[in-house]
Amino acid sequence: MPLHDISYQHWDGSHLGIWRRRLVIARAGVAACLQIRGMRHMVVMCWFAALLMATLLFLVGQLLVADSVVVLWAGNLNPQLQTFVRLLTTWLEQHPEISVRTTQNILFHYFGIYLLPISIFALGTAIPLLVTRDLASNAIIIYSSKALNRGDYLLGKFSTAFGLLSLTWLGPVCAAWFAGNLVAPDWRFFWHSRAALGHTLVFGLATLVVLSLLALGVSSLSSKEKSTPVFWYLWWILGGVVAPIAAHTQPWLRHVSFNYNLDQLALAIFRPAEDIRIAQENIPLLGDMLKNIPAETLAALSAPPLIGASIGLGLMLLLAVTIVNRKVKPE
Amino acid sequence: MLPPLIIETKDLSKVYGEQRALDGVNLQVAPGAIGLLGPNGAGKSTFMKCLLQLHPITSGSARLLGREVGREGREIRKRVGYTPEQDCHIPGMVGCEYATYCAQLSGLPFQAARQRAHEMLDFVGMGQERYRKIDTYSTGMKQRLKLAQAIVHDPEIVFLDEPTNGLDPRGQAQILELIQSLWRKYGITVVLSSHLLQDVDSICDQIIIIARGKVLVHDTLENLKARRRGAAEVVVAERHQELQAACGQEGWACELLPNGHLKVEHKCDSLNPLLKVLDRLKLAPLEIMPSPNALEETFVQALELSHAAA
Repeated sequence: MPLHDISYQHWDGSHLGIWRRRLVIARAGVAACLQIRGMRHMVVMCWFAALLMATLLFLVGQLLVADSVVVLWAGNLNPQLQTFVRLLTTWLEQHPEISVRTTQNILFHYFGIYLLPISIFALGTAIPLLVTRDLASNAIIIYSSKALNRGDYLLGKFSTAFGLLSLTWLGPVCAAWFAGNLVAPDWRFFWHSRAALGHTLVFGLATLVVLSLLALGVSSLSSKEKSTPVFWYLWWILGGVVAPIAAHTQPWLRHVSFNYNLDQLALAIFRPAEDIRIAQENIPLLGDMLKNIPAETLAALSAPPLIGASIGLGLMLLLAVTIVNRKVKPE
Repeated sequence: MLPPLIIETKDLSKVYGEQRALDGVNLQVAPGAIGLLGPNGAGKSTFMKCLLQLHPITSGSARLLGREVGREGREIRKRVGYTPEQDCHIPGMVGCEYATYCAQLSGLPFQAARQRAHEMLDFVGMGQERYRKIDTYSTGMKQRLKLAQAIVHDPEIVFLDEPTNGLDPRGQAQILELIQSLWRKYGITVVLSSHLLQDVDSICDQIIIIARGKVLVHDTLENLKARRRGAAEVVVAERHQELQAACGQEGWACELLPNGHLKVEHKCDSLNPLLKVLDRLKLAPLEIMPSPNALEETFVQALELSHAAA
């Protein structure tokens, strides 16, 4: 029987819009990344960290209200500790805008910073799946022959990296904020912690855009799937090694590390030193304890001038865009 | 009424550095099965890629399906299918997943894309192997999958760049049969680029011969064969010499080919004079092939003229 006896059917449905087609690329990219077992483990690890953060926020929240479970538990443990906590919470209850805002801003600054390396590592694992593999297999020509152009393809791949980082970083951080405040003793915690969320979103979105573009650039560097993750990890690790050494010799050299530049950005957005100063000046007892923080540590947590980090990140992004522009062509 | 033109080009040129891959191509092509012939490096693939906007046009203009190439790329490609010459699959994907993905990239919603993908994989004759990773496919399966991804979104025109490369004769015949059915049965215009004349001869009704970036010939296969109507190949079981002598008496050149066939240059518009000679000799031919190798001869002649002009 001839093969084409299985007849061809014409299709006359309506086509999806261009944004849906870009989303198809992004979704397929994220799905391909999640097929890697190690990647799935990392995602689970990040969400587990979010669960821990939510638990911590619950405990901190309990500390900020009188007669909470934690205060009672402290009383059972030591009556003097209960008196101390009661004194503290009475004041904190009267000034929730300081206590909740300050605590959550500092916590989310550190949570974001400490969760980021897992995302950078995960991105390194995903780098061959962004552009490298398509360069190796000529698949770009297939994308270009469909109802897409190079910009759509790149936007789809950028969204893949962005989506993956959202899954390993921004998603867990935002979920931790939401869950932590959901189990807080007072609904007003949502309102008083808005600065922490706002700072997280600003820093998170900026970081996601930067890292996604850098990953796209590194992924376009070569068509060898084993090479591009090595470039990524080398850049990350060397940057991490160079930055502290350069601090004492050539301070400008620190900006070759994207991680250092992002840390500077986080300090400029979260301004944890300001919160510590507010706590030192306003919160009784706890403030006195915070006064023991060394001046150098406080200086290191102060908002830095962003000019160096901005130039550093700007040059990196320019380099990434140039690489993508030169390497990613229909053929 | 004339059918609407599907491809129109005006002084279309494409230059790579010093090399002129397309040199002022002017074409007006009606829907059909179109064969794009030319030696390697003639500019066939470049012509297709310029129309698909995979390569930017250096100068001139082109219209595909009535739309301006270069301005409406996405809209054009929504209605166009393409199978590149080289492998271009996404590693790690299974066949049906790949075809579904390609349909989605062309704008089909997921459900429709999945259904169409399976229909097209059935159409190209892929069975259970569609559930295997593409990396494990043979060349023949990859060619079938390439064809499936090119037609999965129901295009109006499909560009096929050397679709029978690397296939065994049986596989070639099957793929050509499928391609032929696209135009003859389902009305999808086919542009087949090949350097294999017999492929083009068997399925195309229009021929474009390109060499050195220029269009040397653009005509229907029927017209090209008509130009060479004065020749025929006769297959007889016996009395070859007798037939040769009779043709000689008529003043026709007659040559015995290595395959035992007789090539007769009868120089007439019809086969009737040749049939009369056979009748007079009481010789029953096994087969008569009018205008044999018309395409090949036209192709060679066009190339010779092109070389002479250069």
